[in-house]
Amino acid sequence: MTLIKHKKLSRDDWQYLKEGGELRASNNIVNLDYWRGNNAVLVSEHSPCGILIHGDENPESFVADLDKLSLIAIDMPSFADGRAYSLAKVLRDTYGFTKEIRAMGDILPDQALYLTRVGFDALEFANETSATLAIEKLSDFSVFYQPQLSSQA
Amino acid sequence: MYLYNEIDQTLLNERVAQFRDQTKRFLSGDLTEDQFRPLRLMNGLYIQTHAPMLRVNIPYGLLSSKQLRMFAHIADKYDKNYGHFTTRQNIQYNWPKLEQVPDILADLATVQMHAIQSSGNCIRNITCDPLAGVCADEIEDPRPYCEIIRQWATLHPEFSYLPRKFKFAVSGSPKDRAATQVHDIGLNMKKDAQGNIGFEVLVGGGLGRTPVIGQVIASFISEKDILSYSEAILRTYNLFGRRDNKYKARIKILVRETGLEKFKAQVETEWQTIKGGSLKLTAEAIQRVKTHFSPLHYQAAPRDNDHAKHLANDSSFKAWVKQNTVEHKHSAYKVVFVSLKSPTRPPGDMTDRQMHDLADLSDDYSFGQLRTTHDQNLALTDVLESDLYALWQGLKRAGLATPNIGTITDMICCPGLDFCSLANASSIDIAHEITNRFADKAVDTGDISLKMSGCMNGCGHHSIGEIGVLGVDKKGEQWYQLTLGGSDSHYSKLGERLGKAIAKDSVVDAIDDIVDVYKENRTRGERFSHTLQRIGLQPFKDKVYDAH
Ligand code: SF4
Repeated sequence: MTLIKHKKLSRDDWQYLKEGGELRASNNIVNLDYWRGNNAVLVSEHSPCGILIHGDENPESFVADLDKLSLIAIDMPSFADGRAYSLAKVLRDTYGFTKEIRAMGDILPDQALYLTRVGFDALEFANETSATLAIEKLSDFSVFYQPQLSSQA
Repeated sequence: MYLYNEIDQTLLNERVAQFRDQTKRFLSGDLTEDQFRPLRLMNGLYIQTHAPMLRVNIPYGLLSSKQLRMFAHIADKYDKNYGHFTTRQNIQYNWPKLEQVPDILADLATVQMHAIQSSGNCIRNITCDPLAGVCADEIEDPRPYCEIIRQWATLHPEFSYLPRKFKFAVSGSPKDRAATQVHDIGLNMKKDAQGNIGFEVLVGGGLGRTPVIGQVIASFISEKDILSYSEAILRTYNLFGRRDNKYKARIKILVRETGLEKFKAQVETEWQTIKGGSLKLTAEAIQRVKTHFSPLHYQAAPRDNDHAKHLANDSSFKAWVKQNTVEHKHSAYKVVFVSLKSPTRPPGDMTDRQMHDLADLSDDYSFGQLRTTHDQNLALTDVLESDLYALWQGLKRAGLATPNIGTITDMICCPGLDFCSLANASSIDIAHEITNRFADKAVDTGDISLKMSGCMNGCGHHSIGEIGVLGVDKKGEQWYQLTLGGSDSHYSKLGERLGKAIAKDSVVDAIDDIVDVYKENRTRGERFSHTLQRIGLQPFKDKVYDAH
């Protein structure tokens, strides 16, 4: 995996918790079920914490916990499925979430710019070639018709 | 015309460069077909039966003579010397080469034209009343609002991977000529009691496999809120629209399955959170777009006017004036429809030569501007009555003066089996046969809307034709299902099935029979749909199925 943040290749300080895997001291990304079962311990002993959700998750199911979270990773089931774009936008603009929102799963370098425009600030690509191309593609446009995200303004 | 500013032009140029790179990566194997598909579709490029098809937008149907000449240039340089005008204010080229598409787009960008979002699961070209700004019954000119919506929708980062395509239509008149009831969002301009400008918003209309008439979701949304309200609808659709089945992915299905009231409440909740935000339009912002439309300078009627004389002396001119022109809000002017339904070409097709000729005529007689209509015709909307005779002679020379607007030979027809890989049956050859059969009697038959699609997807809008023709496949053979009584005027209505499908070699006879029943039964001046309503479907059934 290669991570992009702020238009640059970036070191990844986070780790996904695998089925049956060991929790690290901090910076674990856990799925929603695990979060629901263990969030008290996670917050008190393993902060900062992140969750992994599916692109079709209803924000109502986790927004009550937003202030305990330092990262939300959204898994894109297919690059053609655009639900997560609205999800990220709503997390930023409606719920005011300011920490990291990360796109992972099936994304194309050509989508990097739109993803960042709706509020993703970290993008995970399969390899460095795709990630480097994505950085290039972030500069495809110098002008936009749509207003910036209020959080980016 | 809307005059581009630097931002508009920069964005267009950057889009061309982006697509050039994507095409290059596809051709070199860096992008797979699956990955390239949505990218090319978002730029109007389909792969069809014979070759790619490129669909170019004509935003809200407004076109300059210079842009029409560019269409001619592209038809000549990159295609087989013609283009096809569609029902949604686009032009399609059927024979471009994939590797040349970036060059075509670069050429188009020099005259502020593009293919951005002309296909794909995103917000498509915004369509509008072809008579906007010139019809007497207008509440407000919808075109500046179309432009505002176009800009907001262009390369929208959040709404570029929707469950399915999404179409807007805007009408500024009480008489709907933009088919707002059969669009995903239909906007009808309105004024409230205080004279404030706004829109009645319809949602969930559409043709295709499951034709649905749109329902009113909001009876008045102020002009300043139109983007935030549209965004709220789109966001609700993007979050909740079905993605498991592409035939159930349009917003009409979401509205139906959710129920209008609940859907409306979801949109309302979302809207309240964004209504006061950055999408709120100020009076200045609206005014700025309005001033980007160059005004036309109309003149008073000239004193020496031979129009009456020409009408009296030339019966073919008179017939053309009667059939192909309508009133303009300025009495010295007329709106002229240019028929693209001649016996010599498939409906909606136009040669590069004709494009050049028409561009010249529009410079001479109609401020160098043209419109496209949703019946696949063109219009010169601002012609002095005293110029009509000269214009008509010019159109005749160009083969563009067929006096058949509104008649049965002015039919809408999709490309069908000749070009489209989804088709069950051909439509162009049936259209040709209908044209020949009715050439001499079309005007006498009166106005009838005939619409034909080569499959259930309904690109030819068969379900809202007074006579609808739908191609179906029966064990590998081409058959046609007829429907009667559809309508696309302000009260859109879906046609009713006449009976079982009809074999290809009998379908034109059947249409002829239908027209005969109408002619035998109509009262003076009665439209087809009214006669049908009065006498019912049975006499038509009897005639068609007894005979065949
Ligand atoms: S109606 Fe069917 S055959 Fe005709 S253009 Fe559309 S998809 Fe193709």
